[in-house]
Amino acid sequence: MDAVATPEPLKAPGVETVILPSKTLKPIDRVGIYHGMYLLRMIEALDVDYPAVAWHLGEHRFQHLVADYVTHYPSRSYTLNRLGDEMPEFIAAQESLPRRAFLHDLARLELAMTQAFDEEESPAMPSDALTSLGDVDVTRLRFQTIAALRLVAFEYDVNAFFTSFRNDEKASPRRAKTFLIVHRQDYSVYRTPLTKSAHSFLASLRDGLTVGEALDEHVRRFHRTPSQPELFSWFRDWTAAGLFRSITVKD
Amino acid sequence: MTNRWQIPDLGIGMGLRSPHTAHILTNQPSVDWFEALSENYMDTGGRPAYTLDRVAERYPVVLHGVSLSIGGTDPLDRDYLRKLKALARRVNARWVSDHLCWTGVSGRNTHDLLPLPYNEETLRHTAERVRQVSDFLGMPLVVENPSSYVEFASSTMTEWDFITRLAEEADCGLLCDVNNIYVSSFNHSFDPAAYVDAMPVDRIVQVHLAGHTNHGTHIIDTHSDYVIDEVWKLYARLCERTGNVATMIEWDADIPDFETVHAEARKAEKYRGAAAKVAYA
Repeated sequence: MDAVATPEPLKAPGVETVILPSKTLKPIDRVGIYHGMYLLRMIEALDVDYPAVAWHLGEHRFQHLVADYVTHYPSRSYTLNRLGDEMPEFIAAQESLPRRAFLHDLARLELAMTQAFDEEESPAMPSDALTSLGDVDVTRLRFQTIAALRLVAFEYDVNAFFTSFRNDEKASPRRAKTFLIVHRQDYSVYRTPLTKSAHSFLASLRDGLTVGEALDEHVRRFHRTPSQPELFSWFRDWTAAGLFRSITVKD
Repeated sequence: MTNRWQIPDLGIGMGLRSPHTAHILTNQPSVDWFEALSENYMDTGGRPAYTLDRVAERYPVVLHGVSLSIGGTDPLDRDYLRKLKALARRVNARWVSDHLCWTGVSGRNTHDLLPLPYNEETLRHTAERVRQVSDFLGMPLVVENPSSYVEFASSTMTEWDFITRLAEEADCGLLCDVNNIYVSSFNHSFDPAAYVDAMPVDRIVQVHLAGHTNHGTHIIDTHSDYVIDEVWKLYARLCERTGNVATMIEWDADIPDFETVHAEARKAEKYRGAAAKVAYA
């Protein structure tokens, strides 16, 4: 960001009893150097985590959002990587923020991407792991997902918006229920749209249900069993994407 | 002259910065060593960790932190120290450094390197904490002199006297940032040569150089430009006392391409002592 955010005027009564003047600066001006740099540092850090939110809001409004955010959620960690963790919920609570529902979704997407980027590495299982199991009752299989996986559902098509942002194309918020896999493979983060039905089934597997239990849950939610071709394509794509690290068989 | 721990001169290094990592992994350039910012690698299992591991396989690595808050009044963060120690072991860090500063209070982190008042109370407090960290890490902590924009009315000694006494009382190593000396000398109107001449050279294991931004009334340590001639002269003055010591350029804003930063770092060759670089096993 090029423009300098203007922090609130610094008030530090008695500062001259603690800080010495220099030849050119009064004590309050010297402390003001640190005061000004603090907000710039927070803006820079959150601009890295939420570039599309910043792009949508524009420089001035994003800086104000950050200034308000760090007042409520100052960093309490040795790393700035966690500074933005509360941003989606903070945005959701900002009643005066235009299009806050869309921005809430967009921030959730960007947080999921950051989390997938930083998660611990858990190697995916070999692509032939499923077939190498041999003759086994597939409903008893339990799939362990990789750590760098997030499943997110949105009220807006923020994935399309984010793609436009990345491509430096004009974009407008479009309301549409969308579902997304955000995961890391070979140290790159991917965003993969999927249906509500597939999203729900994969979420069941991630939460530790066996295939049979996930199918039961699917029937309960959608009043139908996924077709064989559906299930085949899901597992083919998810295995190829490296979403699973291991398979166990329930006793 | 070598430091008292016989920690070898690693040569001329580079800061490991994300705009350069693809170039480094692909081309494996001829660089003597790399300095990695500790906090960037402590809580990630993704690409940053992968990159650092690959770099550490090929090059000597040192760790440089910004969040230890060694002069702070909050208790030392044991979780942070555990992760720092684990990271240092993982990458076989030759040493671990951080700044003479505090970074926050009451659990809040400003992520800035805030200056300390230089007096007896701060000295006792900081020396005790440096000793605790060194004991925990199992190696002497290396402490860097900060750049600063304020001076405290309660200071009773110069920064170089404080650092000299701290190093002695805490038995720690020193990272001498020559640009920081210059920046602070401008901001606080002292003679930077006197600072350089007073540094206990047998404790210096590393040197930082950097560019800065001069606003006329004060200088900000931005790490955003080439090293100015006055700083090179101070570096030459220091080298006359230290002999060869591991040296690198910090360039953290408006970062140019790898070759530009590396070429700037290699200028240090001109000033380094004549003693042959100790081969690193």
